[in-house]
Amino acid sequence: MKRKNPRCFTIASLMGLGTLLLASSSLSAMGLRAFVALPVEKGGNVVRFQLLHNNDKDVTQLITSGAYGFNAKQTLLLGLPYRLSPSGKKRLGDASVMFRQMTLQTDTKFGTDRFALLGGAVIPTDSDRDPAIQGGFVYTHFKGRHEIDVDAIYQKGLDKRPDSGRYDLSWQYRLTPAERPDWGIGTELNSVVELGGRWKQGHNTTQQFTVGLQQIHQKWVVEGGITQDLNNDKDLSLLISTRFHF
Amino acid sequence: MKKHLLVTLLGLFISMTTLQARTLEIDVHGMTCAFCADSLERKFKKMDSVSKVEISLKLKKIRLETRDDAPDIETVKKAILDAGFTPVNVTEVSNEKKKS
Repeated sequence: MKRKNPRCFTIASLMGLGTLLLASSSLSAMGLRAFVALPVEKGGNVVRFQLLHNNDKDVTQLITSGAYGFNAKQTLLLGLPYRLSPSGKKRLGDASVMFRQMTLQTDTKFGTDRFALLGGAVIPTDSDRDPAIQGGFVYTHFKGRHEIDVDAIYQKGLDKRPDSGRYDLSWQYRLTPAERPDWGIGTELNSVVELGGRWKQGHNTTQQFTVGLQQIHQKWVVEGGITQDLNNDKDLSLLISTRFHF
Repeated sequence: MKKHLLVTLLGLFISMTTLQARTLEIDVHGMTCAFCADSLERKFKKMDSVSKVEISLKLKKIRLETRDDAPDIETVKKAILDAGFTPVNVTEVSNEKKKS
């Protein structure tokens, strides 16, 4: 397959993404690439469908994530990737099950600081893959028009599965409205800038840079971005996702 | 005479239903994004006694209009805590029942 010029692809993708986001109705509280920072109320559910295309490997995945709030401080987080293309066998990825316990919450009139511990497992959906246990943390700082999310997760592979780890550092900035209305919740548009790292035992750490937009409506969010692998110029990924709250 | 009595009863009925309206304003800390604030609105809308919910992300306030004295202050605070936020101050902006 002929490879496209990454720069042209980036510009075209950004334009397409911008058009898509602006054409739809209204977005937040979480970065693009992680699904651990979102607050979920007692009895509340959030589902996210994320389409991820890697230009270098020419692989497209649909990642379905879900969150359920046992209460305001305890949340169950689930994730399951499915390879849409190329077709073939073993398209279902490994399921991630994680429990989040918020251990610190400092709310003020102007924002919030929250810290939570994460613990869970990676459950293989195929018998030739091994499971892993995972643990980490997530920290959120929200003030005014700015939100910063930091998370790190370490996966300890069992049997022959290699250890792995990841971190994400996300900064979200509310572009519009500059000032919120006195009463009522309107549509909001955020810019997102992220730095992430992915590590696997026996391999170097891959650093990744993501830029994107989030359009936030009271009940749903549509978001998208482009991730550039900082270790490999040709490795570019496009992601588009939507979240629903019910 | 009958007409006069009917008008009086109707007036009494209207005043009884409207006089019991109560408005509460609650200062809520930690309420930062539109997507998160939705949980709060849904919690209060499920309550039979709440007739209207308004949220201000700018002022960090919720305004509730209730049909009677329910929900009580403790129920309101618990709903906000369950939604993941911190209730700070509950103010009864108006209570037509008390006025009458």
